[in-house]
Amino acid sequence: MTRRRAIAVISLVGIFLATYLTLYKLGYIEALACGTGSCEVVQASRWSTLFGQPVALWGLGFYLAMFAVSVAGSFGQLEGSRRVALALVVMSGGGVLFSGFLTFVEIAWLHAICRYCVVSACLVLVLFLISVLDLKRDERGS
Amino acid sequence: MAKKTVQKAKASNAQFVGIIVAVAIVGVAALGYVLTHNGPKVIIVDPKIPAGAAEGHLMGKADAPVQVLEFGDFECPGCGNFATLTEPDVRARLINTGVVGFRFFDFPLVQHKNSFTAHLAAACAEDQGKFWDMHDRIYAGQDEWSDLVRPGFSDPLSVFKRYANELGMDVKTWESCVTSQKYTARIKGNQAEGARRNVSQTPTIVIGNKQVNVVTYDQFKKLVDDVLAEAANAKSGSAGKPAAGKKGAGQ
Repeated sequence: MTRRRAIAVISLVGIFLATYLTLYKLGYIEALACGTGSCEVVQASRWSTLFGQPVALWGLGFYLAMFAVSVAGSFGQLEGSRRVALALVVMSGGGVLFSGFLTFVEIAWLHAICRYCVVSACLVLVLFLISVLDLKRDERGS
Repeated sequence: MAKKTVQKAKASNAQFVGIIVAVAIVGVAALGYVLTHNGPKVIIVDPKIPAGAAEGHLMGKADAPVQVLEFGDFECPGCGNFATLTEPDVRARLINTGVVGFRFFDFPLVQHKNSFTAHLAAACAEDQGKFWDMHDRIYAGQDEWSDLVRPGFSDPLSVFKRYANELGMDVKTWESCVTSQKYTARIKGNQAEGARRNVSQTPTIVIGNKQVNVVTYDQFKKLVDDVLAEAANAKSGSAGKPAAGKKGAGQ
C-alpha cells in the first residue's frame, strides 16, 4: 500500500474517533458523567469548543479533508501529484500544531488528560510524518 | 508487460478499497453499538452493606419502601444535569409520595477545584434547615462558580454567600461554619462510604442492589419498580416459607 493510501486509512480511523467524541459532546452518547478519569474534565472545559462548535467537530472536518485529499491523490492523474503531497503536509502540519496546543492546554491549564484526545493527537502526528515521507518521495521522484 | 502492470494496479486498488470498506464497517458497527447501548450501566451491589458511619443528607422518609443513595459532586456537570433535569420528577412523583427515601452523599472529586467548598456550603446550610435549597441553588448556578466553566475562578465562596443571602439564611453564621470547615469530617465520611462501595464516578446512584450512573426519570422509576416488585415477591415467598420449613423439619 502506498503512503498516501495509508494516510487515507488512518484518516478514516480518525473520522470515527472524532465522530464518537462529537456525539459525546453533543450528548447523543451517554450524558456526561464525571469519573476519576479526566476525559469529562476536558470535554466539559471551555477549551472543548471553538467558534461555538465542539473541537471534536473541527477534528472531524480535518480528518474528512485528509481522507478526501488522500483518496483523490491515490488514483489516476493525481496519484503522483506533488500538490496533493504538499496539501497533505500543510493540513497535517496544521493538525499537529493544533493538537499540540490542545495537549499543552490539557497538561498546563486543565491538569487533565483525555485518552481519546491523546489517541487523536498521535494519529495526527503519524499522518504528518507519513505526509512528509510522501512529499520527500515525490521530491526524489521529480 | 503493460497488461501485467494494469493487473497489478487493479489488484492494489481492490486491496485498498477492501481495507477502506473493512475499516468503515468496523467503525460504523462500533458507533452503532455505542449509540444503541446507551442505557444506564448497571452494577449489582451487595444490599447488605451497612450505611456505616457516613451520614447522607436525607430527603423523604427514612422508612420509605425504597431507599436510594446518590454519591454526588457539586462541580460535576453530570450531577448538575441529574439534579436539575431528573431529580425534580423524582421528588414530585417518588419522594413526595412516600415511595422513595433519597439520601445525598458528598463525593467531591479531586480534579474539581471548587467542589469541596460547595460541599461545605451545602453542609453548613443544613444547620439552618436549608441543605436541599442550597443543594439546588449550587447545582443551578454551576456556570457561575465551576472551575470547569470558568477556569481559574478561585472564589466560589463569594457566589455561595450570595446564594445563602438569597435563601434567607443567617449568612454570618453560615459563613463562619464554612470557613471553619465544620463539616469536613462529615463530607470525608460520606466520600469514604462511596470509596467503600467502589464508587469511581459521579453521579452514582444506588437503588436497591443496583448501582447506576446517569439515568433518566423513566430509567430511575423502572429501577424503583424492580425493587418494589422484588420486595413483594420476597414477602409472598416468605409467607409460604414457614410451611415449607415445617415440612423440612419433619423430614
